[in-house]
Amino acid sequence: MSAPILQTQDLGRRFGGLRAVADVSFAVPEGQVLGIIGPNGAGKSTLINLITGHVKPSGGRVLIDGRDMTGAPPWAVAQAGVARTFQIVKPFRGMSVRENVAIGILYRRHGVNVMSHALRAADEVLEEVGIADLGDRPPGELPVADARRLELAKALALRPRLLLLDEVMAGLRHSEIEPSLQLIRTLRERGITIIVVEHVMKAIVAVSDRILVLHQGQVLTSGAPREVLTDRRVIEAYLGQRYAQRRGETPDAPG
Amino acid sequence: MATSTQAPRQAVTPTSRRDQARRALPWLLGLVALLGALGLQSQLYSGQERTVTTIFMFVAMAEAWNLIGGFAGYASFGQVVFFGLGGYFTAVAMSQWHLTFWVSLVLSGIVGALFATVIGIPLLRLRGHYFAIATLGVAEGMREVVINLPGLTGGGAGITVPTVGRDATTPYLGNDGFYLLFLALAALSVLIAGLVSRSKFGYGLRAIHQDEDAAAAMGINTTRLKVLTFALSGFIVGLVGSSYAFQQVTIFPERLFDVDITVLMVIMVVIGGSGTVLGPLLGAVVLQFVSEFLRQHFINLHIFILGAIIIVAVLLLPQGAVNYLREARRTGEYSLLANVRRYRL
Amino acid sequence: MLRAEQVSAGYGRVQVLWDVDLSVGDNEIVALVGPNGAGKTTLLRALSGMVEIRSGTVDFRGESLRGRSIEEIVGLGISHVPEGRRLFAGLTVRDNLRLGGWRSRNTDIGRVVELFPQLGDRLNQVAGTLSGGEQQMCAIARGLMSRPRLMMIDELSLGLAPVLVDEIISRLPDIASSGTSILLVEQDVDAALTVAGRGYVLETGHVVLSGPAAELLADPRVQESYLGMG
Repeated sequence: MSAPILQTQDLGRRFGGLRAVADVSFAVPEGQVLGIIGPNGAGKSTLINLITGHVKPSGGRVLIDGRDMTGAPPWAVAQAGVARTFQIVKPFRGMSVRENVAIGILYRRHGVNVMSHALRAADEVLEEVGIADLGDRPPGELPVADARRLELAKALALRPRLLLLDEVMAGLRHSEIEPSLQLIRTLRERGITIIVVEHVMKAIVAVSDRILVLHQGQVLTSGAPREVLTDRRVIEAYLGQRYAQRRGETPDAPG
Repeated sequence: MATSTQAPRQAVTPTSRRDQARRALPWLLGLVALLGALGLQSQLYSGQERTVTTIFMFVAMAEAWNLIGGFAGYASFGQVVFFGLGGYFTAVAMSQWHLTFWVSLVLSGIVGALFATVIGIPLLRLRGHYFAIATLGVAEGMREVVINLPGLTGGGAGITVPTVGRDATTPYLGNDGFYLLFLALAALSVLIAGLVSRSKFGYGLRAIHQDEDAAAAMGINTTRLKVLTFALSGFIVGLVGSSYAFQQVTIFPERLFDVDITVLMVIMVVIGGSGTVLGPLLGAVVLQFVSEFLRQHFINLHIFILGAIIIVAVLLLPQGAVNYLREARRTGEYSLLANVRRYRL
Repeated sequence: MLRAEQVSAGYGRVQVLWDVDLSVGDNEIVALVGPNGAGKTTLLRALSGMVEIRSGTVDFRGESLRGRSIEEIVGLGISHVPEGRRLFAGLTVRDNLRLGGWRSRNTDIGRVVELFPQLGDRLNQVAGTLSGGEQQMCAIARGLMSRPRLMMIDELSLGLAPVLVDEIISRLPDIASSGTSILLVEQDVDAALTVAGRGYVLETGHVVLSGPAAELLADPRVQESYLGMG
């Protein structure tokens, strides 16, 4: 049985006295869609940054395809086939939408070297995410939903095997959420492993195979969506201890 | 609420003749400019020739600064250190090691590149203002080092390149020769800038400039690209410094490591339009012309007036002339007032 | 006293609040709960003038709040105790309080010290060295110095032990009954809906539930809005 595509072991990061992430261990088998949830300040974004190399861990390990990539710089992680979107989209201004995507095609592993080829390939990626007609526009002009798609296109340009989506549903109208979910399902059908960090619960329940709950930097629990979301500890984390007590919820779900 | 509509798949047109012509145009214009500059030489008398030579020198340096400061977005305020290193290396090489100028020239460029690599690796981790100050510090520090090694560099008294007699390894180039040399350096610098601008490398630099985190997340080895660019920039400026030393014959630390030179480079790029190929060229030419003109006609006030002009230019066109024209052509808005407001000054 | 109707607001191109209706009466404590990212903080910021209101109306004691500057809104009698307290950490407790009363020229810190005796013992202490609970008290006290008619508190319980949360929350009814209504955004749903008279549940920018606090507390739909399932 092949190694999980991503595995963390006791991963942790402190900022001064604050433990943003501590002792986080989990594994993601290839092809799974894993949802990561947790109240504000739970450490979700820090965890993503630890995996992608934007933040160096204070302890623990990150293994990608079984290879130790702990502390590797972001470009090495990208070239290993891991792509991510940013919570606040980061388009390259001063370049067109097409050129933004072309960068990924140029700099991925076994990337293209000729600009015109990259631009052509970029158009194909834009088509996949549904913004093929926006290729010439400056990214600053795009409305939120399209800006999110551009962010996704940039990640897909890297031909990733693992995709990390950081709060891609934030700010979307209800009508825009379903097409985004559909896009995620399509990517999953292509065999891309996906980790989704989200606040919008309905979305994450709709699309995840498994959910991991972070609370105060640590893993609270993980498992099937229904189990996790009715777990008393999770209710406590989100609504407060006394609320959970008052509701007299189902006894703690196993593991 | 609909998101963007799916457009029917349009076949990406193969590079049409018009596209090819459009891409070749800048090279063509460059060639014309080059020929023009060559032809111009015979029309100028020696004073003017020297002025134009200085313009070429600054074009070369401005374009080189633009590589690290404009494309990559790392504003180096110590650029003159490569100028000084190149100049001193050549002076020492020609006077003490008896190398010819041409060998010294190439070596000076390499010295510039090597030094840039060595200080680049630590310094390019710094961002924004910190990088600017650190590079400034390096330049100032290097000047002091040079002053304090009189055995090697002649210290504060300067160093003289042998240009006559037995010691002279290379005959002095003279006004005409230096005109051509600096023109060649300017052409080289513009050529490199042009090649970088359209290449994968150039796009990588722009990405780093816009958002370094996102660039790294897309597979760009930001450290490698930044150091390479810095080294390239150092190489070119080293070449220029070397040529300057030969031209001036006697050089002093205060001149070769003069922070004014860096500042002039930066102003030219900023006013002309940073991040473009044409911008630094335009900025260098215009600024030098204006400066010369003012010096001749307003002997006492020329620096003051020049300063005022620069201030106004930066206020009205913070993004530089070339960028302003491009944006204006795209949006149709030429109003300077709107431009100022857009940049929230 | 405060009536917001069909308020929509956001940041740049991202719309966060959609047609929100909310009201706060005299001497009332109103709770605003809901999952993260719902827009609770954005709503408070819209009411205090930090975020532009795109559509809808906000009426505060006969005055419209839309389009007003933050200083104007403070001048009208609204005080905002932000998430994370945001005390002037380098200044003493006394100076923090006095700065709170600066605009209304109120230098009488006696009243707020009565409310929070622990602050009275620490007037000369540098605010950054206070414990979390003391800092929260200081922040609320500072907010009270402008003698507001409405005080909006964002995430009171952030980083505080439940005992402290209780202690601070127990002061709120006194504050409300002496003329300062309170709009409380709170993560600790039980604490919030126990002290408040009425509540609103905000989810992805919409008000999905509202009514008497006791009813909301017993309503399983509140949990659903947080976790997608009850």
